[in-house]
Amino acid sequence: MGLFDIGPLSSDIKEYYDFVIIGAGPAGLTAAIYARRAGLTALVVEKALEGGAVTQTHVVENWPGEISIEGQALGQNFANHAKHFGAEFHYAYAQKVTIDGEYKIVELDDGHSIRCKVLIVATGTQPRKLGVPGETEFRGKGVTYCAACDGYLFKDKDVVVIGGGDSACDESHFLAKVVKSITIVQNLPYLTAAKILQDRILSDPKINVITNHVVKEIRGASKVEEVVIIDNDTKEEKTIKTDGVFIYVGLSPMTQVVKGLVALNEQGYVITDEHMETNIPGIYAVGDIRIKGLRQIVTAAADGAIAVEHAARKYF
Amino acid sequence: MSLLAEKDVKYLQELFGKELENKVKLIFFYGDDCEYCELEGQLLDEVEVLSDKILVERYHKDSEKGKEYNVEFAPALIITLEDGKDRGVRFYGVPSGHEFGTLIQDIVLFGKNAKPQLSQETIEQLNQLDKPVKISVFVTPTCPYCPKAALTAHNMALASDKVTAEVVEAGEFFDLSDQFGVSSVPHIAINRNPDKFFIGAYPEPQFLQQVLDLSE
Repeated sequence: MGLFDIGPLSSDIKEYYDFVIIGAGPAGLTAAIYARRAGLTALVVEKALEGGAVTQTHVVENWPGEISIEGQALGQNFANHAKHFGAEFHYAYAQKVTIDGEYKIVELDDGHSIRCKVLIVATGTQPRKLGVPGETEFRGKGVTYCAACDGYLFKDKDVVVIGGGDSACDESHFLAKVVKSITIVQNLPYLTAAKILQDRILSDPKINVITNHVVKEIRGASKVEEVVIIDNDTKEEKTIKTDGVFIYVGLSPMTQVVKGLVALNEQGYVITDEHMETNIPGIYAVGDIRIKGLRQIVTAAADGAIAVEHAARKYF
Repeated sequence: MSLLAEKDVKYLQELFGKELENKVKLIFFYGDDCEYCELEGQLLDEVEVLSDKILVERYHKDSEKGKEYNVEFAPALIITLEDGKDRGVRFYGVPSGHEFGTLIQDIVLFGKNAKPQLSQETIEQLNQLDKPVKISVFVTPTCPYCPKAALTAHNMALASDKVTAEVVEAGEFFDLSDQFGVSSVPHIAINRNPDKFFIGAYPEPQFLQQVLDLSE
């Protein structure tokens, strides 16, 4: 991130677009690029920043053509690319979608409502809750899900990171620059992050890894003071004193805006056909929110392209 | 060396040239032993020259002006129209990182006669407030969700003269943040009461509801 980021600025919003795309991550922005190149109008609605969750990734090393690029820079590149081809942007929460004949109407939290012929839902995922006592109670009192946001508030303090996947390891690597010590607690007997990320944290003297332990409880008085963990084999309990708990135990889809409208699977992911179209004609789902085997930037971008190619032929 | 990149300067000149319909005043307050005041001073020097519609005034926090605007900490930045009337929109701490974007949006908002960008329903509810409400949005420069919360609060201040909205950079005001128990941002405290707060960049209607509930 730059020292001074100009950030998003909303376009003057129109009442109708051929495509409304909810979510400015790699899937949504690729959809916007393809829509514009097909000569169709496109509005991208985003609630936070251009680039989506990619901007929260410290370094991206698996986007072809870039050996290593900061997530923030890659996300910005995607957005600049979409703008270059004339996609418009509006910064708001999409709250509700209704159907009016062949049109979809998207209601935003700032009072706007927009009509479109094709709606592309690219809202991605959010951090999954761990589901242990103390987690909700101490949210904002030491429990957090965003190292980029809150890492600095734990400067020179001891923190626990829960999880052992890519996010947990990447974020620990980032946090280690700021905090005094990190204890990673992983429920499986091994870490599941990519090998390169594991090597980075295993060689960091500030980071201690405890595997094969589940979290029983997060405790404290007015703020987080300790985490209680249990050994999977011996069932022995241990208490780790800590100032903060960063939780990275996977993701859950953000489907609120189309809940009750399009079909979801049991885990809440959107069901689509091979063209990314949902059970409602003209509503597509792309990127991390749909059922898929691999949730990566490269697969998200592919979804966006496939959806628009199909929709442009079918509906215009 | 300049703080703003050359391409950003060009972009902002064009943006302000296109968007600003009237003059906007940025009233900056510096202080003694202020680690970040020089940085913000330099930033504002660079912002001032981006458009002839941007006016910057500089005062010491303990000056008459500081008292007039009830400035508690430095650096402070108060945004107003040309008349200098306090509309309840301010920053404590340098608007850096993602918060620079909030400052830019604030300038554009004020450059369109400070008309709040909120839904009619929100504006009507804010106009029914019968006592003052202070919204303190604690942020960090690296938090991508914070500008939404900061801007919603600033817009609410513009919508009602009962509302004041301060954006506080948590890392620069560590003691204050500690006093308010800030450990996750955006952390929004109401009426400077450490027990009345909510966490997160809520959509506008939910943000409003929290503000109304907590200010009762």
